[in-house]
Amino acid sequence: MNNSAADRIPFNRASVDLHDAETFSAGIPHDAFAQMRAAKGLSWTDAAPGDQSGFWSVTRHEELVTVSRDTSTFSSAVGHIQIYDIDEDALDARASMIDLDPPIHTRLRRLVSSAFTPRHVQQYEVAIRQRVRTCVDAFESAGGGDWVEMVAAPIPIGVICDLMGVPERDHQLMVELSDHLVAGTGNEPLDPGAYGNTTELRLLPFNSPAAFGMSEYALRLGDERRANPADDLITKLIQADVDGEQLSDEEFANFFRLMIFAGNETTRSSMAHLALHLVEFADQFDRARQDPLLLPSLTDEVIRYSSPILYFRRTVTADTVLGGTELHKGDKIVMWYAAANFDEAQFPDAQAFLADRPQVPAHVAFGGGGAHFCLGASLARLEVAVLIEELVKRNMSLEIGDPLFVPSNFVNGIERLPVTVIT
Amino acid sequence: MNGPNPSQDEQNESAKDSKRVVLVVDADRCIGSGMCEMLEESIFLIDEDTNIAGVLGDGSLAADRATAVIDRCPASAIAVI
Repeated sequence: MNNSAADRIPFNRASVDLHDAETFSAGIPHDAFAQMRAAKGLSWTDAAPGDQSGFWSVTRHEELVTVSRDTSTFSSAVGHIQIYDIDEDALDARASMIDLDPPIHTRLRRLVSSAFTPRHVQQYEVAIRQRVRTCVDAFESAGGGDWVEMVAAPIPIGVICDLMGVPERDHQLMVELSDHLVAGTGNEPLDPGAYGNTTELRLLPFNSPAAFGMSEYALRLGDERRANPADDLITKLIQADVDGEQLSDEEFANFFRLMIFAGNETTRSSMAHLALHLVEFADQFDRARQDPLLLPSLTDEVIRYSSPILYFRRTVTADTVLGGTELHKGDKIVMWYAAANFDEAQFPDAQAFLADRPQVPAHVAFGGGGAHFCLGASLARLEVAVLIEELVKRNMSLEIGDPLFVPSNFVNGIERLPVTVIT
Repeated sequence: MNGPNPSQDEQNESAKDSKRVVLVVDADRCIGSGMCEMLEESIFLIDEDTNIAGVLGDGSLAADRATAVIDRCPASAIAVI
């Protein structure tokens, strides 16, 4: 395999099974990632049962940025953006902008991008603060509880649902559907008939019946907005004009699912990890209490340290060399954001949690830049910043129980986190 | 620094302020993140119809601030001309 590359650099294998959700059951596998960063070239993992080929792992910041920004060599549209292979018809059935390359990707993105600029998201701050205060108040007066259920989950789902136009009564359903989507990246098989699903699981995102449930919901809500337009993103998508055409039902439903999933699952993870940081790195939050100007860098440090999305995959479209490793057309490249975010070459003393860590070079929790840079980055930063502010203000003392991590090699989520407020 | 026959533009630029540069946005690369507009609202604006960043006025900015805004653009869509 790759004889010519082997002449130049040794062939490295990833030291842990990156297919296996179990590898991530206690959070980011920092030691394994450190070994992979230190090895010359990229690290190889053999194909999982059912897959046609294995994959190369990108773990260093510099190479991750290169892959992210070169969408013509490293495609999101060719092959799948998850590690496992899926059929061509399944790729088409699930495609949203995250599975496409420019220029069509960018035309779709611009349908909604104006709602997510830093300038625009400022206007959501009052509503976000209201949600944060409500949740934290309830948590404090209850003396604690499950931090995920009471704080980390309801805030981001509330915010993204407001933006999309999903009524409050259905927010919990969206959380549940998102959870079931992620469950598709775990090791446990899912009930194919859940949520009234009639579609083959292989055609559904994350092979999860929840994707069907979310699509059905989106189409119903879309019909309502067609009859009664409102000032929300659902209406914008329904009325969208992409090169003279409207989005098809499938395109619309896929867009909706992406926005709900990306808008709540990721920020929820950062907010869950934030509770761990608050206790473990209390001194850094004390610094922010004394110097509010540290809030932006502290916010980014929480997000870097959380790295809510562990990876996305690209597929090589033309033979090339990356980090000394020869890559061939069709090769799978997996960008481990959670590895690059702890790359000492970019982040000195990377395992240290620092309230004043410089924001340039940027962490890659929102991606390494380029066309697919997280659409909601400014919104996520604002939500996390407001939560930090409100927590720091209260000076609550917390005692943390054992976190239960989401069994997935794709998201660094926390399912449950018992927290007690000490008075 | 300049060749033997500096162009009119180069002469004007050096006469005005040697530390200012002129920025452009590559519309194909721009993803409308709005980072430029937040950092330098006097010279960048996201167009409300196209959601692509445009440059206002002569697009000139102090070189150090230009570097900062170029570095923060997630799509690498800003360049000095």
